[in-house]
Amino acid sequence: MKVSEMEMISPTSVHECLHALTDQQKSSRLIAGGTDAVVRMKDRNWMPDIWINIKGLKELRYIREDASGLHIGPLTTHTDIVKSELLQSKADVLTFAAKEVGATQMQNMGTLGGNLGTASPAGDTIPALYVLDAHIQLSSLHQIRSVPIKDFFIGPGKTVIKPDEMISDIVIRPQEKNEIGIFEKLGPRKAQSISIVNFTASLKIKAQTRQCIGGKLAFGSVAPTIIRAKKCESMLLLDPLDEHMIQNIAKVAWKEVAPISDIRASANYRKDMASALLERGLYRLMKRWENK
Amino acid sequence: MSIKVNNPIGKKHRQETSSDRFQWIGKRVPRIDGPEKVTGELQYMTDRSYPNMVWGKVLRAKYPHARITNIDTTQAKVLPGVICVLTYRDIPGFNGFGIVTPDQPVLCEDVVRCTADAVALVAAETNEIAEEALNLIQVDYEPLEVVADAEYAMTEQAPQLHPDGNIHSHVKINNGDVNQAFEEADYIFENTYYSPRQMHAFIETEGGWGMLEEDGVLTIQCPGQYAYRDRLQISRALGLNPESIHVISSPNGGAFGGKDEITVQIYLALLALHSGGRPVKIHLSREESVQAGMKRHPFKVQVKTAAKKDGTIIANQVRAVADTGAYASLGPAVIALAVEHACGPYKIPHVDIEGFCVYTNNGIAGAFRGFGVNQVCVGIETHLDMTAEKIGMDPIEIRKINAYRQGETSSIGHVVKSSVGTHQTLDKAQNCDLWVNRASYKKQPSEPWKKRGVAVATSFHGVGMGIGTPDYGAASIELLPDGRLKVAVGCEEIGTGNGTVYAQVCAEMLHCDMSDITVVQGDTSETLDGGTVTASRSIYTGSKAIATVAPQMIQLLAETAAEILHTPAKNMEIENSTVIDKKDPSNSLTFIEIYDYLSKAKASTKVNGHFYLPKEKEEIKGSGGAPHHIYGYMTHVVMVEVDTLTGETDVLRVVSIPDCGRVMNLQGLEGQTEGGAIMGIGYTLYEDVAIEEGYHKTKNFADYIFPTIRETPEIETIPVEDPEPTNPFGAKGIGEVVMIPIIPAIMSAIYDATGARVRHLPATPERIFEAMKPMNKSAPISSR
Repeated sequence: MKVSEMEMISPTSVHECLHALTDQQKSSRLIAGGTDAVVRMKDRNWMPDIWINIKGLKELRYIREDASGLHIGPLTTHTDIVKSELLQSKADVLTFAAKEVGATQMQNMGTLGGNLGTASPAGDTIPALYVLDAHIQLSSLHQIRSVPIKDFFIGPGKTVIKPDEMISDIVIRPQEKNEIGIFEKLGPRKAQSISIVNFTASLKIKAQTRQCIGGKLAFGSVAPTIIRAKKCESMLLLDPLDEHMIQNIAKVAWKEVAPISDIRASANYRKDMASALLERGLYRLMKRWENK
Repeated sequence: MSIKVNNPIGKKHRQETSSDRFQWIGKRVPRIDGPEKVTGELQYMTDRSYPNMVWGKVLRAKYPHARITNIDTTQAKVLPGVICVLTYRDIPGFNGFGIVTPDQPVLCEDVVRCTADAVALVAAETNEIAEEALNLIQVDYEPLEVVADAEYAMTEQAPQLHPDGNIHSHVKINNGDVNQAFEEADYIFENTYYSPRQMHAFIETEGGWGMLEEDGVLTIQCPGQYAYRDRLQISRALGLNPESIHVISSPNGGAFGGKDEITVQIYLALLALHSGGRPVKIHLSREESVQAGMKRHPFKVQVKTAAKKDGTIIANQVRAVADTGAYASLGPAVIALAVEHACGPYKIPHVDIEGFCVYTNNGIAGAFRGFGVNQVCVGIETHLDMTAEKIGMDPIEIRKINAYRQGETSSIGHVVKSSVGTHQTLDKAQNCDLWVNRASYKKQPSEPWKKRGVAVATSFHGVGMGIGTPDYGAASIELLPDGRLKVAVGCEEIGTGNGTVYAQVCAEMLHCDMSDITVVQGDTSETLDGGTVTASRSIYTGSKAIATVAPQMIQLLAETAAEILHTPAKNMEIENSTVIDKKDPSNSLTFIEIYDYLSKAKASTKVNGHFYLPKEKEEIKGSGGAPHHIYGYMTHVVMVEVDTLTGETDVLRVVSIPDCGRVMNLQGLEGQTEGGAIMGIGYTLYEDVAIEEGYHKTKNFADYIFPTIRETPEIETIPVEDPEPTNPFGAKGIGEVVMIPIIPAIMSAIYDATGARVRHLPATPERIFEAMKPMNKSAPISSR
């Protein structure tokens, strides 16, 4: 199969797109921003008969709030997220994470739905979706279902999306008034890099104190999928988050991760960095909290 | 006949350092090719396309080391759209290339020695068909044991990769008696340093065009660093008269040494002979460039240094092993330069230095900015700092004590007769804001768990070729019909801005505006052979060549004007592209009028000039070409900030203090010092092409990490102008040394910040973190 022999269709509605996905005669793949798809096509890893170009589906590009939560369309770009005042005030972690994806060009082209579909363990926006209890809405011609993010990924590059389904909505809970988040990324350099380890936290803190009353922590790039650091989460509530307490929690963090060695870093360094990023992240988070 | 014109190269001016008497030289002049590059109007050669073109592709070796038992191209040849499939059988001339030793096959016949090796070539109607055809070529291999480590390659049990063995060259410099000195030393420092396989990472990957013209001339348009030598290498492989080959090698989307050797020129030539006169394009993908392109030699350097309590270094022993990969290219020259520079710009009385250039199956290493000095400067500079710390001496002071001055004997035992700016650069370093106020800057880390360090290092780099390699410059100047002057210099424009300096020099010498100068570079039909654009030589060489030929043009203009105006030529002066009779200024002729006259007389309007670069008379025996006659000197001061939680290191400030002789163009110099600093930061902290068992683990820029603008610090340039007497303007070279001392400076600054020494570059966050582990790990966050 040659790239020049591939077909590309550009549906004008979600319905039309779902029709195309239902046709199982030829293999197909969705392409939105193309920041992953084009690279994988170049490497001959993704060679479908038909590319279904959904970049033009404006109905899937939105950020809005209703009683059920914050809704983000799968074609919302990282730049859209960074610039959204609604998300800045009610999902700050997601905006911080979106800002660290690749570089400006990637943020302009890449979409949140694409980041989910690619299912990289190093995906920068995904831990934020974990701490914000995201639900992924999947649509096919005949069915709509909602999958909690913790059940969405099967392994690196693998999700529960069926061949005739597409992501049609991403729903997250809004942060509460006393809730504050942080995203920490350790890459081989500041810009244009893939995470060696990333860490996301969203904490509810009792006003005028350093006492955490509920918090969610997630790590990226240290396991086959994003993982929540539940042991650390329970420790958050024990005592006020002073430096000593933060260090104690950090000491536990490495036990919650199961990283591998690759060209970017060794497994042991990743373990150490899980602790380091948690420590650094909570320190920075509490500093922001105090200045708030 | 004597011509009296305002000649800026008068002897009495030579020692002046002020550039005020010059109209163009020494001024901050914008790049002549700036607008067309910034706007994208200038196309890379590899961006061009031609009607009727065909696409060429190279089949690379499947294994890093294997015997070829059979090559079958039948299926590929019958694929519709394939124009030709070529193997070693189709090489009319010598199946090999290599600047010094042509040990690299153009197309492999019996054995492949690295995955960069080419086995077959294809030309096809489209890129995709060419790609498909590559997959249809059946090559049968018998894999052989892979030699993955240079030290292993030197042992007897390692398979021999070339008939003469795996040690391709072994060079030495010996002075005094190191063993005696080690006995007398107060302190001895002994360490082993490892350096990375840095990639040139030019924006334009290797590529170009081959065309067999109707008149039988074979035109190769391919960005390179020495069109005339490329032409000779092509002619050798094709068994063709070099005069029938036209090589255009400029402009160029970056080279840094990586296009010094043949890249794809011979492939283009072979395919062009089989494409029925249609232009053939080859343009390597980034992935192929990573796999097949030249890299910097990774070194293992063992250094033992002896010091006295007063700070004098009395002995330095160095053993450097360079992994040159599967083929020699310029490996022996790189290791010779490493040996020459391994003891720094100092006067160490007892030295014992040896270097090995060793074959392995790890790709191919060759020329790269710095040329061996980057790898060896680390040992001596670190050991100087260790000595200074031990005896409580200032790091700049200890360098001043040990640095040679002009007229003194260097560590390698030669009297340095050319300009030496080390002491001036160290003085500037001592007085720069960052150094003076370093204690206060170090107290202001951006977050409590971060630590700052400030350090200094100094180094040097030879300009031009060492002994044994002929080194010459040449330029021509032609008067054009519109009165403009065309100055042609062989040295390619590879991004350095040398062409702008050539225009400055020509305008200066011929008293015209820079905008009246057209510069031509890198084209065998337009320029004379003036040597390579390497070895920090193109400003020194090009400016001197133009200064050599300019008086001939002045003479031609003055004599022609004199003939037309019936006035003695000695009365003629040139001003604003006009020749004026200074006795009667109303009596004048424009360059256009002079051109018209010469043209009607069918006289040539072009003059040529040549010169030979100054050399040392005696080679240090066994050194492989040392010493150089001219060196550029350089000191860097840097400040880093290390995140003690992660090992991430930011270079926050760089003070770059070059001694490049006279500054020809301050803007161009800053381009070099800033680019050099960033490349040095990349070398020290980020960059390495990982190869395991002969296979590249680094595939493209997604996993080859080099600095971006977010890793780029504030870089200040404080030039020292110690004029080099052998250049008419006092210039010497700067292109390489600008990236050298920053390497040990960053390493020492990390130590200054954290107490951790990293000896294996790049100093990635992980390596720094591991080196910091023994330090106060359990201290509270605010005091880390």
